[in-house]
Amino acid sequence: MAARVIVSAADVAGLRRVAEAARTLDGVERVEALALTGDDVVLAPAAAAVDEVATAVGGLADVVLACPGGGALRGDVWAAALQEAAAGGVDAVFLADAPAAREAAGRLSIALGAACASMCDEVTVDGDGALLVRRSVYGGVAAGTLRLGRSPAVCLFAAGVCEAAEAAPAPIEQRAAPAVPWDVVIVAEDTVEKTVDLPGARRVVSVGRGFQKADDLALAQPLVAALDAELGCSRPIAEDFKWLPKERLVGLTGSSVTADLYLALGISGQVQHLTGIKGARVVAAVNNDPKAPIVRNADYIIQADLYKVIPALVAALGGAS
Amino acid sequence: MRIIVCAKHVTDSTEIRWDDERGEVVLRNLPTKISDYDRNAIEAAVVLKEQGDDVELEVVMVGGEAAVKTLKEAVAMGADKGYLVEGGWDDPFDPVRGARVLARAIEAIDDADLVMCGLVSEDGYNGITGAALAQLLERPYLAPVVGLEPGEETVRATLDLGDVLRTVETPLPCVLGIDSSMNVPRLPTVLQVMKVKGDRVGTLKLADLGLAPGALGELAGGVELAGLGSSAVERKRIVLEGAAEEAAAALVAALKEEGVL
Ligand SMILES: Cc1cc2nc3c(=O)[nH]c(=O)nc-3n(C[C@H](O)[C@H](O)[C@H](O)COP(=O)(O)OP(=O)(O)OC[C@H]3O[C@@H](n4cnc5c(N)ncnc54)[C@H](O)[C@@H]3O)c2cc1C
Repeated sequence: MAARVIVSAADVAGLRRVAEAARTLDGVERVEALALTGDDVVLAPAAAAVDEVATAVGGLADVVLACPGGGALRGDVWAAALQEAAAGGVDAVFLADAPAAREAAGRLSIALGAACASMCDEVTVDGDGALLVRRSVYGGVAAGTLRLGRSPAVCLFAAGVCEAAEAAPAPIEQRAAPAVPWDVVIVAEDTVEKTVDLPGARRVVSVGRGFQKADDLALAQPLVAALDAELGCSRPIAEDFKWLPKERLVGLTGSSVTADLYLALGISGQVQHLTGIKGARVVAAVNNDPKAPIVRNADYIIQADLYKVIPALVAALGGAS
Repeated sequence: MRIIVCAKHVTDSTEIRWDDERGEVVLRNLPTKISDYDRNAIEAAVVLKEQGDDVELEVVMVGGEAAVKTLKEAVAMGADKGYLVEGGWDDPFDPVRGARVLARAIEAIDDADLVMCGLVSEDGYNGITGAALAQLLERPYLAPVVGLEPGEETVRATLDLGDVLRTVETPLPCVLGIDSSMNVPRLPTVLQVMKVKGDRVGTLKLADLGLAPGALGELAGGVELAGLGSSAVERKRIVLEGAAEEAAAALVAALKEEGVL
């Protein structure tokens, strides 16, 4: 029975998501949202004021616990803050996935002697009051249900979306700063320019090892332009050949798409790649191997040489507009 | 400097299939290997060994007899020695137990300045072990590491946090989670693997870790796999026939029909 749940995240959207997951869980009586505050900034990286956090979880959380120690979000500080907040007894802690959240979850699970599950898509309660976690397993080969037979449980939620609510802000309770027995000093910090948004793109054209050399990727450019699409790729293209930066990688180790159209060019469709395109509405593929797994995992398939099909597609699109 | 890399023996995840008729994941008789991401951790450690004067590098792996081959491959990448923790289990979903066993193994081997792990494992994908290990050993954890510069008493690491690249410094000893984009792991040749003789692979029994038989159960984090189902998304699987021009025109028409153009 998860009567008291503490939720926390590195950004406001993530916090809403885990707060909603906690609020809608059977038997939950109290949801407390923990926010690490900096000087007057909470929640890295999407800096927001405490009031904003309180508004974001309005109707979902009973209270916002504001803990100094944020600014540059550190998993060790975060874990210590959560551990102190859990001191009165807690049944579950829900966190939204992020590098620092993984550290916080790992540390907290040891500190509390908790059961720990990552990549949670959905959490429910079984007849005995144990938490059941739905998540993808074995790199996306199957959907698994994990039973967390120990209380408290620490659940790390996969990224997801959550609508904003219209409710009164949650009350804010100030807490003391947690202590960590070592320093992690920031020496330098560089903002990374994000030029690629695969998860948010409406159309994605992805290239795989069916392209024989780096120069050949230029063939796909007119198609990307004609479809007003984002360019994606399979792992060999990004990691083995390094023809494209890793931010263009689609799949388990890269991004997951939610596009209306996903067009796979010369991609075989291994499970690790397919995992990233489950959210696509329509999947089309160009592949000259009728036995490639992508054939069973696409809506439309052209079984032919991509070097011939791509120019024909560009022509067909040009003629159509 | 002493470095211990934690490497996991896993079933090759590209070979795992979902059997629709039986409703189960087919795991038996599949090839096994070093978890992909741990190869990046070993590579990062081997580079430190090559660059440093006096670096001792050991690999620790949990598993049964079947893992010996995997451990030798890991050692052949450039480690001085490998340790196999006997009493293996194959539960990818309980990272807390894995961390508890590894922490005891690291203490039994003799402590290290740097403990390095892959960021996630190929089978479990939890991303928890390194942090849990750091908590058990009571030291800092830096991840996802894409750059590394160890000093005398501190280590400097660059972390890829998505929207920022942050370089931090923390005192040794410490635990690192290595990102797969940090390097391209070397592949040891068959000859190099064969050259890893018995004296470079040791075993640690549960008793060496101060554990009674059956104590692994007590270390468990209380997570069990309760059910499995297909994760496939149903697709239409319509093959567009004809020459390139014909098929291309048919695809454009179909996509218009779908309302995605
Ligand atoms: C732990 C782990 C994580 C992974 N994560 C990811 C991930 O996030 N993303 C990812 O993509 N992969 C990932 N992989 C790798 C994955 O298993 C596959 O190896 C990879 O997706 C294959 O890429 P590909 O389809 O481009 O290449 P291949 O499998 O080689 O497929 C190339 C395809 O192109 C077709 N082709 C060749 N020539 C032509 C032509 N002229 N015209 C038309 N078609 C042609 C071939 O028929 C073939 O189907 C991961 C693997 C592991 C072990």
